[in-house]
Amino acid sequence: MTKIKEYNVPFSKEVSSRYGGETIVLCYQCGTCASSCPVAKTTEKFNPREIFRLVLLGERQEVFQSNAIWLCSSCYNCQERCPQMVEVADVFFALRNIAAEEGHLPNMYLEFASALINDGRIVPVSKFIERKREQIGLPPLKSTGTDALRKILAATGFNNLQLKKEAES
Amino acid sequence: MENLKIGVFLSDCGKALIEILDFDNLTSFLKEIPEVTVVERGTEFWKGSGLQTIIRTIKEQKANRLIVAESLPKLSEIKIVEAAEASGLNQNFVQVIDLKNHCAWPHRNVPLEATEKAKAMLLAAIDRAKILEPIHKLEFPAVKSVLVIGGGISGMQAAEDLADLGFEVHLVEKAPFLGGIAARAGRFFPTDDCAACIQSPASDVKTITHTSRKCIYRSGIAAIQGLKIHTNCQVVGVDGQAGNYKIILEKKPRYINETKCISCNLCAEVCPVEVPDEYNVNLMNRKAIYTITPNIYPPTYVIDEKACKFNECKKCVQVCPTNAIELNQKPETTTLNVGAIIVATGFKEYDPSVIKEYHYGEYPDVITNLELARLLDPFGPTQGKIVRPSDRKFARRIVFVQCVGSRDKRWNDYCSSICCMISLKHAIMIKTSFPEVDVSICYIDIRTTGREHEEYYEKARELGVKFIKGRPTEISHDPESNLLIVDVEDSILRRLLELEADLVVLATAMVPSEDTETLAEIMQIETDEDGFFKEYNAKLRPTETKKRGIFLCGGSTFPKDAPSSSLQAHSAALKAVKFLNTGKIVKDQKTAVVNEEYCGDCEFCPVSCPYDAIELVNVDEKHVVAKVSDLLCEGCGICVGTCPLNAIDLRHFKQSELLSQTRAILSIKGQDKPLILAFCCSECGGASVDSAGMTMSDYPTNVRTVKVPCTGYLRIEHVLAAIRYGAQGVMVVGCMSEGCHHEDGVKKVETRINVARALLKEYGIEPERVELFNTIFVEGDKFAEAARTMIERLEKLGPIRFSKEV
Repeated sequence: MTKIKEYNVPFSKEVSSRYGGETIVLCYQCGTCASSCPVAKTTEKFNPREIFRLVLLGERQEVFQSNAIWLCSSCYNCQERCPQMVEVADVFFALRNIAAEEGHLPNMYLEFASALINDGRIVPVSKFIERKREQIGLPPLKSTGTDALRKILAATGFNNLQLKKEAES
Repeated sequence: MENLKIGVFLSDCGKALIEILDFDNLTSFLKEIPEVTVVERGTEFWKGSGLQTIIRTIKEQKANRLIVAESLPKLSEIKIVEAAEASGLNQNFVQVIDLKNHCAWPHRNVPLEATEKAKAMLLAAIDRAKILEPIHKLEFPAVKSVLVIGGGISGMQAAEDLADLGFEVHLVEKAPFLGGIAARAGRFFPTDDCAACIQSPASDVKTITHTSRKCIYRSGIAAIQGLKIHTNCQVVGVDGQAGNYKIILEKKPRYINETKCISCNLCAEVCPVEVPDEYNVNLMNRKAIYTITPNIYPPTYVIDEKACKFNECKKCVQVCPTNAIELNQKPETTTLNVGAIIVATGFKEYDPSVIKEYHYGEYPDVITNLELARLLDPFGPTQGKIVRPSDRKFARRIVFVQCVGSRDKRWNDYCSSICCMISLKHAIMIKTSFPEVDVSICYIDIRTTGREHEEYYEKARELGVKFIKGRPTEISHDPESNLLIVDVEDSILRRLLELEADLVVLATAMVPSEDTETLAEIMQIETDEDGFFKEYNAKLRPTETKKRGIFLCGGSTFPKDAPSSSLQAHSAALKAVKFLNTGKIVKDQKTAVVNEEYCGDCEFCPVSCPYDAIELVNVDEKHVVAKVSDLLCEGCGICVGTCPLNAIDLRHFKQSELLSQTRAILSIKGQDKPLILAFCCSECGGASVDSAGMTMSDYPTNVRTVKVPCTGYLRIEHVLAAIRYGAQGVMVVGCMSEGCHHEDGVKKVETRINVARALLKEYGIEPERVELFNTIFVEGDKFAEAARTMIERLEKLGPIRFSKEV
């Protein structure tokens, strides 16, 4: 049993003060998001309504301990149908931003991030892809060049996220 | 002009004030003023011997202006003014000031200074008394006749009340039959009786008891003396003003002579044209000549213009035994003259087809609650059997979806308040008649807020209705099984469900009737952000509009159940009676008056008037001036504050009165502190000054108050005048921003104060010397604190110095 001494309300304030997270306070737990969600249909690990409930009650640790917030596929079905016009998918981006800043970045996303910084691509160009392209007559992929991209990423603070995680590991 | 003889009466409130105010000093001060001919001291002047003293002063000593310092400001004011008027003195010549709460109590720790402030307050009243003018009573004729728009449960009951009380009533219904949405609903909660049921009129002599309720058809409503029912009829024009409205009605042709028709049904039997019956969910056909249900008023038929072949066919004309069918009827226009209007236009079901994921209108087995009501009605298309409209097979599994288009920011933000109860009622009806049917209700919150409503919820659970806490995201259709599938999360179990259903019932939002906007335009009354008619004040005047003589009831202001609609109908009827009962409208001429010499060619005041009391009239071809309706004007003075040419004044509170009070009250300085003038309104803002006294909240005596009708009355010149007469700072104390008694007077003055501040800044005067405060009665301490803060602020700033440095 969980003994609740005091709900950590500032957590919902923290989320609603982030870009994309503003509307979370409107949630009245009707479950439209959950029943709209294609991910929730395939795995019990993800239920947007439940995560919102945890955020609104201030269960910060529980939200970031699991990897659930990274499972949203951003199909925006929930956001289209939410009767309170909560920007459900956007709230997940706000949550992910907080998580990333604090180093709760799952390894897979970390790999994406390094690939982006090093190669300018999220998905690395494998031998398999090169062969496939050749088979169907597509030209080989050129290097994208990462100079411009790195400047952009530096300006957004993306590099810092990366470093923080690396320093921790 | 007669000589001024001012009588001043000082109450020491049962000697409570003697230790604070020096009454001997005040008396000798007053006696030195030449116009003051009588000064009396006593313990209370609003009753008993004190009041007799006042009457004697008027009658024997011929005092013609009275200033009474009393401690129960409003009650004493009413009693004293009543007595003065009875003694022949005009009410406007009596001023009651409150030396206790505005002076003695808040300044009880500084008695010498308090006495000086009391002198200033008395002087202000005396200077005002010198320029007061009488206020006369006005009378307007009022026709003792009422138009009731809407023949649903509210409209019928309001009309009946009024007719029983001897008023002439015109009940107008746009549909061919009375009953409104309630008649379609079949049964009412929480009484379980039928919806086509109203109270029995007093004129029904053969009824056993008038306290009983009756079906419309046996109620005798049509026989009530003085009640004229116009069905198939619409209001297309409203002109005139309160007490005397001209109404234009347009009656659509019914093609049946109501007085001749005997409802024998021969016409419908021979009619060859069949069309789907919308009233019955298109589950059956009706003829082009038809009636909707047997117990309806008027007990006659109507011809569907779009379906009838008229002269090509004429079969009905041939069989009608009473020659009641008149195929050449044309629309008719009639005019009425009424004194008041009651709007009872109700609400309608929201069309849920815009919510694409529920596929209403696309899947025939997705229906609304009102359509289900027709299925449940023994007079309905299935005689009470619940079938799937797609194949007319018995519906074994029924799912209700709550909050469809309600509590949904995409469609209607509000909770429609009755849909939970309607669904519970229907679920109970189904489970009672067909216990084997599986009924689920998907809900976000179940709202059973009325008396005996929670019992419905309980009964539904007892009968085995399943409640699923979750709002469905989508309804899909399986063509093979012809079943509907409802996707919903049971959020208590945190489980995603796919509910199979034969029939899905949408508990759709209730929205304003389609003609609401048009009628609002015709009558020039307001609607709210949801499109319903807007009441004057939801708390205290829920059945009145801001426009005198136009009243609201039932679902026209918000979706409501039958008990609330009845209550409002009786309330609106009572308000109309109160308004018209004497056959005339009597009011004091406490109104705005235009100086036509200065006024001309602008439109500021008609736009700013919250009561639509000002119109522009042509003086010649090119020029217009403003004209104030004495009937509609409520005397707030927002027009005074708005007029760019300073061409409007209030009869009961002239600007000269404001300025002379301001000058006088600032002319005696009590303390070695900066002087502040606080303009306060006569409503909440002013009440907070009273309550500062009542709660004995201290503030410096150099804060002096002058009351205005509404802060919206104030002009920038008034603020500047206060400074010219010696104020180092100006406070404006008004109601809360959303709580202004005259709509937005306090918001308007806020803008003006900002302009005044900018203007002062131009001359090097610190803008923070002028500030608006929004308070309510209970915030006396807030006013006192604001006054103390202002004084401190001004002490820091030092005296006003005009300078070129900005």
